[in-house]
Amino acid sequence: MRCILLVPITYNLRSLLVRKSATLLTVLGIGATVAIVSGVLALRQGFSTMFTSGGRDDLAVFLRPGATNEGDSQFSRDRGLKLIKTVPEIEVGPHGPLAAMEAYLAVLLAPKRGGLTNVPLRGVQPMTFEIRQGEIAIIEGRNFTPGTDELIVGSRLVDRIENCHLGDLITLNRTPFRVVGVFEHPGQFGGEIWGDLDRFLSTMGRYGPNRVIAKLKPGTELGSPDPAKVLFSDDPPEPTPGSLAARLLEDTEVPAKVYTEKQFLASQTVMLSYMLVGLSLALAVIMGLAAVFTATNTMLSAIAARTHEIGILLALGYRPLPIFLSFLFEALLLGVIGGLVGCLMALPFNGLKAGTMNFQTFTEMAFAFRVTSSVLLTAVVFSLILGLLGGAWPAFRAARMRPTVAMRRE
Amino acid sequence: MPSFKLVWRNLLRRPLRALLTVASLAIAIFLICALRTMITTIAAGVENANPRRLDVMSSSGLFNELPLSYQAKIERVPGVEKTTKFQWFGGYFRSQKHFFAQFAIDPETMFDMYPECKVPPEQIEALRRTRAGCIIGRSLAKKFDWKIGDTIPLIGALHPRPDFKAWEFQVVGIYHSDVPSFDNRTLFFGWDYFEETLKAGGVPPGVGVYAIRATPDANIERVIADVEDQFKDSEQRIDCATEAEFQRQFQTMFGNIPLFLGWIGGGVLIAILVACINTMLMSMREQTADVGVLKSLGFTDGSVFGLFMAQAMFLCLVGGAIGLLVAWSTQRPIAALIEMMFPGYSITPQTFALAAVVSLVLGVLAGILPAVRARRLRCVEALRATD
Repeated sequence: MRCILLVPITYNLRSLLVRKSATLLTVLGIGATVAIVSGVLALRQGFSTMFTSGGRDDLAVFLRPGATNEGDSQFSRDRGLKLIKTVPEIEVGPHGPLAAMEAYLAVLLAPKRGGLTNVPLRGVQPMTFEIRQGEIAIIEGRNFTPGTDELIVGSRLVDRIENCHLGDLITLNRTPFRVVGVFEHPGQFGGEIWGDLDRFLSTMGRYGPNRVIAKLKPGTELGSPDPAKVLFSDDPPEPTPGSLAARLLEDTEVPAKVYTEKQFLASQTVMLSYMLVGLSLALAVIMGLAAVFTATNTMLSAIAARTHEIGILLALGYRPLPIFLSFLFEALLLGVIGGLVGCLMALPFNGLKAGTMNFQTFTEMAFAFRVTSSVLLTAVVFSLILGLLGGAWPAFRAARMRPTVAMRRE
Repeated sequence: MPSFKLVWRNLLRRPLRALLTVASLAIAIFLICALRTMITTIAAGVENANPRRLDVMSSSGLFNELPLSYQAKIERVPGVEKTTKFQWFGGYFRSQKHFFAQFAIDPETMFDMYPECKVPPEQIEALRRTRAGCIIGRSLAKKFDWKIGDTIPLIGALHPRPDFKAWEFQVVGIYHSDVPSFDNRTLFFGWDYFEETLKAGGVPPGVGVYAIRATPDANIERVIADVEDQFKDSEQRIDCATEAEFQRQFQTMFGNIPLFLGWIGGGVLIAILVACINTMLMSMREQTADVGVLKSLGFTDGSVFGLFMAQAMFLCLVGGAIGLLVAWSTQRPIAALIEMMFPGYSITPQTFALAAVVSLVLGVLAGILPAVRARRLRCVEALRATD
């Protein structure tokens, strides 16, 4: 076996230290790039966490056929009740079928950043809390009393929207409602205002709820196709023939489409999610290119300054491959340090609360940046790629030098 | 002043480095243009708003419909010259992927109130006569290759037909608009068809937004107060606002997105500034011996300073110019790519000016440190430098 003599790592480490200002500036440049890309990734992570956490497989969401979101969908009260009574797959609890009607509305409120925004408003029934046992936690005050003009607000709204503190009044159309509690939910409900279904319907002049949710009997297969595919395909897949989903779609009295809650939630942010993935990809490629150029520059100048040293290394008997690897390693090191600095710059954004409009539902979505371990890992891998791309050509140049020519340069 | 030839020769000493620096600068300037344009696109509606037009919507938000009876009441308010009504249809063609806006409108008044929506009069006449007719925007027609006479099936997600089948609209006209706030990708169809179809299913139709045109001499504040006063005891309370105010409210719904775009732009700036300083420092270090030669030849400290400033400025201005060119020439494809989120993407002259100033400032900032160092170098020390 032939033994290849590797250039000692300390050589690279010391070289980076000798050229302090160049190393520092390169690291900062790569760091800023990595920070931006991981910031956008953290934003996307915040979205998807919000919409997928809490999405249950054993919970069915019934919408009107053709509706693409809760706001579009509408049932009259009678039809909603009939649906709850006639679907045998719905689990029955001590107080009747574990199913509830919900109204999904919006109220224009003033965010603290200024302006107005559509904050989602959900009218629920006492049964809702029975279905969602353990999911909704009241962290301040108490739950609203059914049938009264009381509200509870999601914790993500409290510090971002005016009038969302305990005891505040929120006027819906012409009726003032009092905030009596704050609740916590990691998913979308944490950015909503909840109150009594019937009070909401009558103050807002609505004739019926928007959707029905129900807990399914164990082992029920809905047979509904992936809603993200239904929404975004020119040739949408059909539900499994003979399944509950197929049967309800054809129902003459209460036609409905049905999804599991998990499926439904995933479908509600596909557009924003695609957009953010697109944005982060575009930024990663475009800014990454600039960062690779910078890294190449740094490494080229590092090598130019050390031509004499490379000549000595070659004269000492180091082969071109170890010299190539040595400089590539140096570039990777620069990249990784830059990546770590970028992660450090991105970390303060973790947990930062923000809001924007979801174009699919036209309502404000409150979410938080989430710098998760997968975001950080992606950032570090990204910085390694930057280092690799930026270091390859200069390292190749270094390895190809001829010792006599290199040493002659003083 | 240093001769241009000297600057040029110095830059060409490491052509690859000069090229890479110019390229990364071009990328940065392009990104800054693109990000800022997304922000200005959001704001375009406010700047183009017509000061005589007002919008009326439910004070509970756009989710809530207003009764049809409100129109007559609004028209009775002094200072109101004309009104028209809009209802968001919220349908989709084939799949949601092909999202575009559709509104039920009153052909008798809408086109008169929105002169920026340019349609030949005979096509408006055709919309009046054709029950299920529609007029579509120029880019929409181009995107789907729809022509006059074609039928567009739309699934009424928000307003289903009583039989849950697709609504069918026949194209009778194509409009275009030259102002960014009125996009070219909307479908407008007649109110009567909308109302009749919904009523057949037992659903009372409502109005999303009433638009008002005030008389030229009207006191706008007064009209707003009077309109709001009309409905203070009605079943649905309303908000009346100027078109600019309405657009501004709409913009705020973008929430923190413009802020984030600004942050990204700031990050790009920092990354590129650091990279430029780095390049200039590197090239200065390599030219140390040259500085010694120049100074011993009698070049003053000032002209050496100028030489290094000129190198940095030259790189930044060339990079900036390329970036601007790229930003300018990619407007169409980018606009097509993001038209759903930011319809009407087009770079304003201010953005171009800002980007030009940014490249100038970058040049100064990147050049100043190496230039000062070169200026301070003593001739003997510089000559002694080895690399």
